[in-house]
Order: sequence, then structure tokens, then C-alpha cells
Amino acid sequence: MRTAAEYGPAPTARQAPAVALRDVTKVYPGGVRALDGVSVTVERGAFVAIMGPSGSGKSTLMHCAAGLDTPTGGSVSIDGVTIDGLNETRRTELRRERVGFVFQSYNLVPSLSVADNITLPLRLAGRAPDHDWVRLLVERVGLSGRLGHRPAELSGGQQQRAAIARALVTRPAVVFGDEPTGALDLKTAREVLGLLRDLVSGLGQTVVMVTHDPAAAARADQVLVMADGRLRETLDRPTATELAHRITTLESE
Amino acid sequence: MLHLALRMARHRIAALLAVACAALGGAAFVTGIGVLAESGFRSHAPVERLARADVVVSAAQTYHPKGGLAIGLPERARVPRELTARLARLPGVTAAVGDVSFPAAVLDRHGAVLPAGDTGDPAVAGHGWSSTALLDHPRVSGAAPAGPGDVALDTRTAAAAGVAPGGQVTVVAAGRRATYRVSAVIGAAGGGVFFTDATAANLGGRGRVDLVALRTAPGARDSVAERTRAVAGPAGLVVSTGAARGDVESPDAMAGRSVLPLLAGSLAGVTLLVAGFIVGGSLAVSIGAQRRDLALLRAVGATPKQVRRLAAAQAVAVSGAALVPGIPLGYLLADRLGWLLVFAGMLPSSLPLTYSPLPAIAAALLLLLVVRVSAWCAALRTSRMAATEAVAESRSEPRTPSTRRAFAGFLLMGGAAVLSVAPLLTRTQEGAAVTALAGILATIGLGLAGPVVVGRISGALARRLPARVSAPTCLAVANSRGYTLRVAGAVTTLAMAVVFTLTYALTQTTLLKATSDDVESATRAQYTMTAPGLGGLPDDLAAAVRATPGVRATAPVTTTTVIWTYTMFGDDEADSHSAPILTPAASSVLDLGVRSGDLADLTGATVAVDADAARLRKVSVGGTVSLVLGDGAPVEARVVAIYSRGLGFGPVAISRDLATGHTTTGLDQSLLIRTDGSDAAGRGLAALASSRPGLALGRAYGAPDGAYGVPPELWINIAILAVLLGYLLLGIANKLVASTVQRRHEIAALQLIGATPGQIRSMMRREAALICVVALGTGLLLSVVPLVLLATGFLHRPWPAGPLWLFPAIAAVVAGIAFLTMEVPTRRALRTPPAEALTRA
Repeated sequence: MRTAAEYGPAPTARQAPAVALRDVTKVYPGGVRALDGVSVTVERGAFVAIMGPSGSGKSTLMHCAAGLDTPTGGSVSIDGVTIDGLNETRRTELRRERVGFVFQSYNLVPSLSVADNITLPLRLAGRAPDHDWVRLLVERVGLSGRLGHRPAELSGGQQQRAAIARALVTRPAVVFGDEPTGALDLKTAREVLGLLRDLVSGLGQTVVMVTHDPAAAARADQVLVMADGRLRETLDRPTATELAHRITTLESE
Repeated sequence: MLHLALRMARHRIAALLAVACAALGGAAFVTGIGVLAESGFRSHAPVERLARADVVVSAAQTYHPKGGLAIGLPERARVPRELTARLARLPGVTAAVGDVSFPAAVLDRHGAVLPAGDTGDPAVAGHGWSSTALLDHPRVSGAAPAGPGDVALDTRTAAAAGVAPGGQVTVVAAGRRATYRVSAVIGAAGGGVFFTDATAANLGGRGRVDLVALRTAPGARDSVAERTRAVAGPAGLVVSTGAARGDVESPDAMAGRSVLPLLAGSLAGVTLLVAGFIVGGSLAVSIGAQRRDLALLRAVGATPKQVRRLAAAQAVAVSGAALVPGIPLGYLLADRLGWLLVFAGMLPSSLPLTYSPLPAIAAALLLLLVVRVSAWCAALRTSRMAATEAVAESRSEPRTPSTRRAFAGFLLMGGAAVLSVAPLLTRTQEGAAVTALAGILATIGLGLAGPVVVGRISGALARRLPARVSAPTCLAVANSRGYTLRVAGAVTTLAMAVVFTLTYALTQTTLLKATSDDVESATRAQYTMTAPGLGGLPDDLAAAVRATPGVRATAPVTTTTVIWTYTMFGDDEADSHSAPILTPAASSVLDLGVRSGDLADLTGATVAVDADAARLRKVSVGGTVSLVLGDGAPVEARVVAIYSRGLGFGPVAISRDLATGHTTTGLDQSLLIRTDGSDAAGRGLAALASSRPGLALGRAYGAPDGAYGVPPELWINIAILAVLLGYLLLGIANKLVASTVQRRHEIAALQLIGATPGQIRSMMRREAALICVVALGTGLLLSVVPLVLLATGFLHRPWPAGPLWLFPAIAAVVAGIAFLTMEVPTRRALRTPPAEALTRA
């Protein structure tokens, strides 16, 4: 039996940061400047939260960092690989190998069982699942007895746990979360955040999470605060109260 | 509510476009059929010869069966000649004309037939002198015909014949050729060949007149019509004024129009089924797309009734907009269909279609009703759920298919199979029509049972799938299993196209083959002689043909219409049939497949009857049948023979003796000729035909004037099949595109977890392939049962007649539609960045 640490991210380019954005600008058709020269580096094993008022550019920042959206200017690299100028298929392949996603609305495939949903990214990549790793993940997220169920038969929290397991199954360099607790009640949200925290500390995963919930952001190692498409400040291990105050000030500006 | 409905609709353009297209096509078809049906009741042939008559008295040219639609009688029924004098005495009548029309053709100096009369139809070109009173301001040069050897000609005919008053001209009148003295030339818009009234009565009316035309004093028309009714009504005669005079003028055109309600009736069933299917299917997709919106409305406080009303309002608004172009299209369609019917010889070219707003109103009401009901049904499930449940369910799309619905579906398919036994019981067109209907019913059954069937098939497939199969295949199978409703919707519509095409087309071709087999194997003659220029065969022709070396046998065959009245299950029935008029000599040129009795006994009031009809109507040789002849005369006739080739010759053939005096011309229409098969005989007959005026010699099988042969309805059916199939395919394509467009969210989610665009496309292609295979398989299966039964009944073999390429062709079309309707929207969906698609959805 291998230890949990041995299941960490694939050993490619260990020295490179998980995600690096340099001077990234995103201008939408019509002239809306969603990102205005943002530079961010997320080191391996970090738990980063992105906060900001609505329209501050936090979602766009995540989409660009994850290779879902192409920036108008600047450069993005994931796990040391520069993704600028890659076509959709190449970017998908890169995402599949090195990026995991957790969405607010889970986005599990309703017609597949929980087990099939979790291993789907491996199937898409044409890789055989590593059964030990899958079993470990399922145990960690607490879905051991539910593998044969359909997503519709699970509670919201359970569906999000399955989505987290799916995001981790390829052992990605970074997991992005887009309001991962947005659809959950307080207790379940706390459990899911605890799970994410645990994955970072216990398995050495890198997690980047967009949220507007100060309590959620307070679980992160580092919080990036966005406003008007710019990175306003970087807070290390802030408290929820501190964060709530910061956001309220920003929103009233 | 409507405002809200339209605002919601704006975001579901693809699905609503499908609804609009379905409604547009449905409106066009229903309007078109409505125009045909209405024309069948209200169209009048144009008034030409009788334009100057104010009131016309004639015999009834319709037969009114108990509790049924009136049947037109194509053969002229005549009225007593004395009536003219009686009506002339009525106050207000300024002139009364006892009008007769009979075959007459003028020959020129070289013995060639001149186009005669105003209608150009030689069968009604001859008239009595008093009919000149119907001409518009005739300029008569010369004197009225004074004796049996005198005629008057119109200016055009006289000039073509090169004669002037006092000259000699050869006329073939009522089959008799003679030389007449031209007593007058008449300059008028109309024309014809005018004899003395006495001669005309002998030649045409046999002592009676066709009709009495009255001219009245100014303003006296209505009072005269009233008085005339008092005189003529008790005698069973009909008084016509205005546009109705056109029907009296040409009873064959009037009878021809009665084909329209029959045709409309037979089309209405299948058209309504197809239109309802397409409209209902597209609405189900459209409402399904808005299920989440509707559920949210429930959550914010809309009552279930309000939600259903909203869904219905939206559907009605969209279909209402589609009616605007759909209804004019329907009138256009009716026009084309009318043209086609004239082309096929089923409708007289002189009969115009009636275009009134009535069919449009009927189509609009019918369609909006279908739309409302479909929308209501589609929204029922969502609207009835508890509000919170509705939102929750809107997220987890797959649900277990209802077993009750599936049971109803299987029941319907079983019923359709039972129904398709009909062609085994009755070898008639009506029997064959059941085949296609059974096919369509079975598809509707498939529509109900579809989700369960698809679930079983994809479930079995999923279990047999090897573990290491590629991701797109695994996803495709899982989707087909998880979204059984959506997949079943696609499968059912495509299977509908397969069943519709196979059963309809192969029914027609099988019927065609069986009919032409009947006619071909029945015809022992090689030639047929007709007289298109004379309006009927000259009376001395048969002897001349028989005298031609090499001719073995001849017999005249004429086609008329009879109405067979009988009792079935205690109900009085009356069916109108086209029937051949045969002589005892018929068996020398025709082999009708006589089972019992003898065609040689066809003398006096006798008939021969098809075996199927005889069995169903319970008659046998020696028994009697009640018929109404083509002019409305009721007769009792003894059955002298039972024959088996009823498909080619109709259910009843009547003796010439029985028909005498009950046809318009009183002349034979064609002569079937059997020779020794030598070229010399053929040359002899050709020489005979060209040496005498107005004759035409043709091959016996497929006679040009259609004495009998392939019924034109078959061609009409095939043409209509093509148009309906186009509509069906368009509806299917729209529906499939709409349902693929809705999968954008699902596609985006897959892309985010690492599916490349290529993998998504390949997943969709596999789903399309699966849908295609299941649709073709079930479609073929549902068609096979009725078609095997049909072929067994009609061709005495288990497989139907028809082109071999039909199945591959429809398979290719179905595959093309399935792939294109999934590929194109998928490619479009893939162009939107997945993150954007997710937030938008």
C-alpha cells in the first residue's frame, strides 16, 4: 500500500508553478475590459480563493487561468506549459491531463453511474483507471456505498463530492472550483470545503476557487481580491470577518 | 399571459421554428383538402350553352342514398318532350326550348372529321333547330332545316367544310353516316350541327329531350322558376337557375366532381394523422425545452392551470403566425392538386375548384385545436407537480418511462396488426387502403411504447458493451439509455417516415401490379378500335371489322357508372362503381376469370359480378342485384356469371341490353378485336381505321381512352404520398434539430471535463447511428406484417410488388436526416466556448 503523498500530482515539471498568468488582459466584444493586466502565480500545493464583487472579473480570471477562455493579451501557463495559441482540441487535452473542475451545479452526466462519472475523464483520455487511486479517492470523498447510483439519486452534497472525485481522478496539476459551495446548505458547504482543504493538505493538491462567500474564502491559504478587472490585493490566511469587511468596502466604492 | 409566453418563447427559437413549420405544413394540407371537399359540393361546371336560358328543367342527375352523400349520375337522364309545350304556356315564359344533344361530326371533302360544336366534344355536337334559340344573337343566312335531309351548320364548321347554304355535306350523326343539304349557316359564338327537331328527337332523344330551357320576360325569372317547380317537382324533375345550370349542361362534369369529396375523405385521415403527429411531436420538444422555465414559474406562484395556459398561449401564438403563410399555400396546393386530377382524367377540365374562406376557417380551427390539446398534454406533467419538485426534476432530466403508456402503445400495435388482415378478406382498393392506415397506427403505438422499447434495447446494449470500449461509444450508449424519452422521440419520428413510405408506396405498387395483372391476363384481344372524332362508334363498324381478314372475334366494351344498392348488417348501402358494358360476345375477347355461370348469358337485364363483391353482398348466379344505372334508372338485374378479376374490371359488369337507353350517347365506345395474330390482320385493321373518318386503332391493353385499366387514383395517391413525405421529413428534421440544440449545456459540461470536440462529435454520431438502426429496424418490422398480408391477399405471394431500391433509399434518407440533424447543431454548439455555454444555460 502506497502512502497518500505518493498519489500527488504527476511528476512533470515539478519545479514549475501550477498556474502562472502574466499581464493577462481580456476585452470582450463591445469594449468591456473584464481583465486589465492581471499577473498571478499559484504555487503547487496552494489553496487559493478569488474574491470580488459581481463583475469584478473573478470568473473571467478563472476561465482564462483554466484555459477555458482565451485572453486578449498576456500569457497563461499551466503546469509549465504555455497554452497561448493552442487550438481547442490541444487545450482540451491539456485540461484533461492537468486541470480538474468543480462547478456550482455539479454537472455530472445524469445517464452515467457515479463510478462511471468519476472515471469519465480517464476514459476520455483513453487511459485505464488506476483502481487503487480511484478507491482511495472514493473513500476520501465518502461515496464508497454509492458508486452504482445515478446522480439524480444523490443529495446535492453527495453530487458535489462525486464531482470533486471526478476532478481529481486524473491527478491534475490544479483543480478549479467555480462557486463549488454555492448551491449547498451551510452544513454541507462546510463539509465540502473541509474536503477540499483536506485534499490540499493531505494529497498535496492545488486548488483555485472562485467564491463570494467570505466564510468559504477564509478556508484558503491565500485570497486574491479582484475589482474592476484588476487584482486589488492578496491576503494571506485572512479571517472571514476581515474578508467580509474588505468586500463591503470594495462594493461601496 | 400572452406577453409573458412570447417573451419566454424568444429564447427557444429552434424548437418554436419546428412548431411553426409543422403548423404551416399542416395548415396547407388541411386547407388544400378542404378546398377539394368544398369544390365537391359547391363547384359548378361553367354555364356555356345554357347561358341565355333563365330557367332550366331537367331530370335529377344525382342519386341520394339513405343517409349518405349524394352521388352524381354521369349519363344524361331525359325528360318527356311534351313538357316543353306545357312549360311554354306558363305566364312569364317568352320561349321554351326542348334541347337535345347527340353525337354528330361533320366531314370535310376528303372525309376527315372537322372539330364540331362549341365544346369541341363530338358526343354532344348535334342539336335540334329549336336549340338555336339558346345562341347569343345568331345571324342566320338561309332557312331552317325543313326535312330529315337538311342541316344547319355554324359559320366556322361550314367554312372548314367549304360549303354554303344549298351545298351538300357528309355528317356522321348518332353513329349513322349520311349526306345532308345545308339549309342555313349560323353566325354565333356557339355552334354545332342543327337538324330539324323531329330528326334530332329520333337521333338523340329517342322521343325525349335532354332538358327544357326557358327564357323569361324581364324580371320574371324567379316567379317562373317558382311556377315551374310546381309543375316539374311532382314529376321528380329539377329546376335550375344561375350557376347550377352548368351542372345540368354537363352531367358528366357534375358527376366528376363527386370524386372530390371521396378523395378528400380518403386523404383527410392520413393527412390529419401525419399533421397531428408532426405538430404534437414538435410541441412536445418545444415545451420540454421550457420545462425548467415553466417549473420556475410554478415556484414563483403560478397555478398549474396558469402554466398550462401559458404553454398553450405560446403554442397557439406561434402556430397562428404560421397559419398566415400556410393557408395561402393550401389554396395553391389545391390548385396544383386540381390540375393533377384533371391531368389524370379524374376530374373534367371544365370544372373549376371553389375557393371560399370556408376551408381556411376550418383548417385554422382544426389546427389550433390540435395545437392547444398537444400543448396542454405536453405541459400537463410539469404543471401538475409540486412547485419545488418541478424545479428539482427540471434538473435531472431522465425519468422512468410510464408502463401504462407503453401498454397502450403495445395494444395499439396489436390492434394495427389485426386491422391489417383486411386485404386478405377483401381484394379491393378499400381493402388495400387499410394496410397503410394500419402502418401509421402501429407507428403511433410505437410512439407510446417507444421509451420502454428504447430503454430495453439500450439497456441490453449497455450490458453487452465490453468494458474497454471508447469513451464516445460508452457515452452514446449511456445517453440513449438515460434519455429514453428524447431518443424514443427521434426513433419514432424516423420510424414513422420508414413505415409511411414503405406501406403507402408498396400498397400502391402492389395494387398497381395486381390490377394490371388482372387486366393483362384478362385481355385476349390484341387491338381496340375507338372513334374519338365521332363521339361513339359508327353502327356499321363492327361488321366491317369482322370482315377484315385475320379477325377472329370482336366485342364492344363501353364504360359507364352504376350504383349498387344492397343491405349489409341491416344498413342500406349504395356504392358507385365504374362498370363495363359487355355483350354476350365479351368472352371471346376478355377472360374475366369466370368462376361460375357464363358471360354468354349477358342478354336482357343481366349482370356479371366480381367474386369478392358477390361474397360480401351475398349474391350468386341466378340471384338478383339492385342497381341504379348511370342515368338514375333503378333496375333489378339477374346475375349470370361470377368472375374473379374484379380489381381490373370493377365489382360489376352489365349487359348491353340493360344499359341501352341509359347512356348519354347510346353508342358503343370501343371495340375489342382478337385477330389470328398475323401482321396482315394488323395491317388490315390499320387500313380500315384510316379509310374511315374519326377512328383510332390502339393496342388492346392500356387502351388510350381508358375503357378499363390502371385506376388513375393510384397515380394521385403516389403524388400525394411524395408531398406528404416531404412534409413529414421536414417535420422530423426540425424536431431533431430542436432536440439537439437543447443539448448545448450537456455538451459544454462534457467539454469541461475533458472531452475534445472530436470526441463529442463522435459521441453524437454514435447516438445518431443507434437511433438510425433502431428506427429502421422497428420501422421495417412494423411495415412487414401489413405488407405481407397485403401481398398474400393481392398477389398470392408473401412479398409485395414495388421497386427494390425503396428500402435502401428510405434508409439512406433516414440516416442522412439523423446524422445531419445531430451533426450540424453539434458543430454549432461546439463553436461557443464551453464556459460561456454553461453560464448561458
